Amino acid sequence: MAYKDLREFLKVLEAEGQLVTIEDQVMPEPDLSAIGRSAPDVENGPAVMVKNIKGYKNSVVLNVHGSWQNHALMLGLPKDTPVKEQFFELDKLWSKYPIKPVWVDDAPVKEVKITEGINLFDVIPLFRVNKFDGGFYLSKAIIVSRDPEDPDNFEKQNAGTYRIQVKGKDLVGIQPLPFHDIAVHLKKAEEKNEPLPIAICLGNDPVLNFMASTPIEYVQSEYDFAGALKGEPIELTKSEAGKLDIPARSEIVLEGYIIPRQRKIEGPFGEFPGSYSGARLQPEVKIHTITHRVNPIFENLYLGMPWTEIDYLMALNTSLPLYRQLKRDFPEVVAVNAMYTHGIGVIISTKSRFGGYGKAVAMRLLSTPHGMPYSKIVIVVDEFVDPFNLEQVMWALTTRVRPDKDVVLIPNAPGMPLDPSSEPAGMHTKLIIDATTPVAPDKARDTELLDVPEKADFWMDYLKKSINEVRRNK
Amino acid sequence: MICPRCDSENVNILTKAPVDDAWEVYICETCCFSWRSTESSEIRDPEKYDKRFKIDPDKISKLDQIPPIPELK
Repeated sequence: MAYKDLREFLKVLEAEGQLVTIEDQVMPEPDLSAIGRSAPDVENGPAVMVKNIKGYKNSVVLNVHGSWQNHALMLGLPKDTPVKEQFFELDKLWSKYPIKPVWVDDAPVKEVKITEGINLFDVIPLFRVNKFDGGFYLSKAIIVSRDPEDPDNFEKQNAGTYRIQVKGKDLVGIQPLPFHDIAVHLKKAEEKNEPLPIAICLGNDPVLNFMASTPIEYVQSEYDFAGALKGEPIELTKSEAGKLDIPARSEIVLEGYIIPRQRKIEGPFGEFPGSYSGARLQPEVKIHTITHRVNPIFENLYLGMPWTEIDYLMALNTSLPLYRQLKRDFPEVVAVNAMYTHGIGVIISTKSRFGGYGKAVAMRLLSTPHGMPYSKIVIVVDEFVDPFNLEQVMWALTTRVRPDKDVVLIPNAPGMPLDPSSEPAGMHTKLIIDATTPVAPDKARDTELLDVPEKADFWMDYLKKSINEVRRNK
Repeated sequence: MICPRCDSENVNILTKAPVDDAWEVYICETCCFSWRSTESSEIRDPEKYDKRFKIDPDKISKLDQIPPIPELK
């Protein structure tokens, strides 16, 4: 892989014309939030490095994952690789799991160590992400924790992204939702009234952020998957306390522990569905150690009304595990597009083995670990419909669906509380739309679909070459 | 100083800017709201803070707990 950490990836982006550097002084508010909102809206959205923020020493980088071009470069692909091709390339890399990490002694993240007089603002250029957030948030951190009942189990160690609200010089709030792996760790620690050691890792290899927001199984390691995606081991080192494995090349690591059996007000926070989640009582984390690289770069993420960076970050990594879980039992499944609001909306393409097959595949998706709480609207299309092509999906909806037979509601099922339509929060009514062509014993009116004319391939190539020539000569 | 969000007087300076005393950040010890002295008056001023996001201190203890605290084992 062409890069080993965030710094090297930024060099890749720069070489590919996907990085903008701002040298002029900017204000923490509202400039950084506005830059994060605007960058993914620019065509082929670049990452943005902001060097000079009033009152702060260090720089901020935003929108590192915020375009399909950056996403392709993260996967080591040419930047113009189409989304569907990125999906199937990712599937190939997934098969290399696990590639085990290596542990290094001279970890760059240990260049500077702070254990006294900790003030997060001295190291991190914190800023308000959305106007009515309850404070300054770390929105792109990787949080590492271990299973307190099986502390030596590497695979049960979790590296996940959860929102972090800064509440003091050495105090932050965290949001472990009950279906997240860190909540499993926390529950076990709190049952024994023990603090849960955690490491909050900032400014990471982009593949690590990608895996930390991927819904993999409880006993699977994000680090082993990141190695598989890179085709080489991730470099890790040990935390100063708590025996955690942390990325050796992160920019900043905050070490601390979740205070057991205590909840304090946290939020609101502008969340990925494009709305604020309300204030709730959530755990807090005491930070006791900071390690960081010299001149650390603070990477954060703006999330707003979709699409923003988070929608690129959580697109194919939500789709692929769902695809694999379906494919295992239903080999007819061709692809899964779960790019819409972290899989709240999903499109599956599949060949139907028998009547009602599309519905059955949708119900399986709704019983996967991620699909169960998150997915609310599942559309199933034929195997020849590209689920990443919304025009084709709309064709299937308009010409395949018999609303009396093919639309199913499942009331009062598990839901995603951050979806503002989840009511009560955490419950959904699921919607399945089976837009596949009925097969026996189901019956449909006889329909003959239109074919592509002969020689279409020849003329497609001809037209492409011709139009490129026309554009070059302009 | 009064918290713009919950109108509590229980407000402290969280930090000063690391460079040039460019700003201060305040924290409300009642509702955990934090804000910077250089933010707009809509954020700093209790009168101008959007009413949809105001917090009633008496209701804080009744907010949902995430995740619930488990029974001791």
